[in-house]
Amino acid sequence: MTYNKTFICITTCLLIFLCGTYAFSQEPTFSTPTNVTAKDTPNDDGSSITVTWDAVPEDSGITGYKILRNTDSGEFEEIGKQLKPTATQYKDSEIEKGKTHAYFVQAITDSEALVNSQQTEGVIATGQWFHTGKTSLFIAMIILCAAILVSIYLCRNNQDVFVRRIPGLEAVDEAIGRATEMGRSILYVLGLGGVENVATIASMTILGQVARRTADYETPLRVPCNDPIVLNVVREMVKTSYLDEGRPDAYQEENIFYLTGDQFAYAAGVDGMMIREKPAAVFLQGTFYAESLLMAETGNSIGAIQIAGTDSEHQLPFFIAACDYTLIGEELYAASAYLSKEPMLLGSLRGQDWGKIVIFVTIILGVTLELFGINWITTLLQSVR
Amino acid sequence: MKRQIPLAFCFLFGIAMIFTQFSPHSYSQAVYKEVINWGLIISPFAMVLAVVTLIQTHVTRINLRTEHWQYSLIVFVGMIVMVLIGVPFGPQNSIVEWLYNNVQVPMDATMFSLLAFFIASAAFRAFRARSFEAFLLLATAMIVMIGNVPVGDLVWNKVMSWMPWTDGASWLRQWILDVLNNAARRGIILGVSLGVISQSIRIILGIERSYLGGGD
Repeated sequence: MTYNKTFICITTCLLIFLCGTYAFSQEPTFSTPTNVTAKDTPNDDGSSITVTWDAVPEDSGITGYKILRNTDSGEFEEIGKQLKPTATQYKDSEIEKGKTHAYFVQAITDSEALVNSQQTEGVIATGQWFHTGKTSLFIAMIILCAAILVSIYLCRNNQDVFVRRIPGLEAVDEAIGRATEMGRSILYVLGLGGVENVATIASMTILGQVARRTADYETPLRVPCNDPIVLNVVREMVKTSYLDEGRPDAYQEENIFYLTGDQFAYAAGVDGMMIREKPAAVFLQGTFYAESLLMAETGNSIGAIQIAGTDSEHQLPFFIAACDYTLIGEELYAASAYLSKEPMLLGSLRGQDWGKIVIFVTIILGVTLELFGINWITTLLQSVR
Repeated sequence: MKRQIPLAFCFLFGIAMIFTQFSPHSYSQAVYKEVINWGLIISPFAMVLAVVTLIQTHVTRINLRTEHWQYSLIVFVGMIVMVLIGVPFGPQNSIVEWLYNNVQVPMDATMFSLLAFFIASAAFRAFRARSFEAFLLLATAMIVMIGNVPVGDLVWNKVMSWMPWTDGASWLRQWILDVLNNAARRGIILGVSLGVISQSIRIILGIERSYLGGGD
C-alpha cells in the first residue's frame, strides 16, 4: 500500500510538472489576418487603393495592424500608421499612379510578435469617369432638368402662361415712381454674393429691369458693390439697359461703385448712404448674411419703400419684419421672367412647378410606404450624397 | 459675335462644370480646378478697377464738399497706411496685424453688436398683434423666447405643475423649431433649389442673358 501511494504521488507530480512545462513552453497561437484583398477604390480619381480584411474577435490577442506595400514587385515597405485592432480596412492614398501595388497585413500580438497575412494580388488604380454613388442624384437632376426644358419648349410661343401675382415685383414700378416723384435716388444693394452665385445673377437681372425704368424716368440709381467682378458686370448691364431705352446720356457710371469687400464695413457704408442720401426706394436683392437686418432696419428708419429678396432662408424673417415687400426664396429667381413676360422664361417657371409636383409625389409616396414598413424610397433618398 | 462667343463659352463651361460634379476622374477634376483658377486670376484685375472706382468716388466727394466729406479723407489715410505697410512687409507684419486686430476687428464687432438693437426694434414692429396671423407670430415668438431661457422651465414646472410633463417650455420651443420651423424652411429650400436649377438652365442655354449686359 505504501508503495502504491508513493507511486501515485510521484506519477501525479510528474504529470503536473510535464503539463506545466508543456503549457509554458508553447507560444500562444494567433490566426493570421484572413481574406486580405486589395482593390482599386471605387468612385475616385485613381489615386488610392483600399485594402480590406476580416475582423478578428476581441479576445484574439491582436493589438494592432501594420500595412506593408510593394510597388511593381519590389521590396515590401511599411506604410501609414499602426492601425487599431478593430480596423478592417485601410485606404492607401499615397500610391504611384499607373504602377502595380501588392499588400500584406501584419497583425501585432500582445507579445509584440508579428503575424503576416497572405500577400494580395497586384492592383493598378484607375480613375472612374462616373461616380456611381451619385447615380440617384444624377437621375433626379435629369428628371428636373427635363421637366424645365420640356416646359420651356412647350411655352416658347405661348404668351398666356399664368404666373401668380407676386406683390414684391408688382411694387417695383410703385417704388421707382415714388422715388421719381420725390426727386430722390434709388439704392440697389446686391448683397454679398460673388458673380458665381446664382442669387447674385438673379439679382442682376432684376437690376437690369429696374435700370430700364430708371432710364425712362431719369431717376438716379445708386449701386454700391462689394465684389469687383460684380461691379464690372453690373456697370455693363446698367449701361446697356440705358442704351436700350435710348437714354445713354442719363447713365452715370460713378453711381455704380465699389464700396468694400468686408461684410460689416459694407453694411456700415450702405447704412451711411441711406442716412445721408435718404433714397426713396431701397432694393435689397441677392445673398445676405448677418448684415441683412442692419441695412433693412436703417432703410426702414429713413422711411424708404423697401423691396427685399433673398434665397438665404435664415435672413428671410429679418426682411419680412423690416421691409415692405419680400421675395421669398424662389420668387427671387422668378423675378426676371415675371418682369419681362418672356414666354421661354415663363416656361421655365412652369417647369419648376412640374419639378415641385415630382418632389411632392415622392414625399407623399415615401411617407405612405414608410407607414407600411416599405422603405426603399427613404433608402434611395438617403443614398443621395 | 459680341454676344454669341460669351454665350458659347457659357454653354461649354456650364455643361463641363456639371459633368465635373459627377465625374471623379483626374481629367475632369483637373478641368474643374483649372476653371476655378481662371476665376482667381480674373479677380485681381477686377480689383484694380474696383479700387480705382473707390478712389474716384471719394475724390469726387472731397472735391464737391458733399455732406460728411471729411470721412473720405479717413478712407484715403487708411488705404495709404495699409498699402505703405502691407505691400512691402506683407500681411503678417506686426504693425498690419496690430491695425487689423485693434482697428478693423473692433469696428466689425461694433457693427455686429448693433444687430441686437435692430432685432429688438424689428421684433417690436413685427410682433404687434394687429391681425390673426400677427397674433400667431407673437404667440409663437413668446413661446420660443420663454423656452430659450432657464427661467421658462422653472415657471412651467412651478405654475403648470399639474401638467403631465416637466420642462415643457423648452420642449415646446424645441418642437416648434424642429417641426413647424423646419417644415417651412425645407419648403423654402426646395423652392430655392428648383429656382437655382431653372435659373442655371436658362443661363447655360442662353435664354437668360441679361447678365451679359441688357437684353433679355
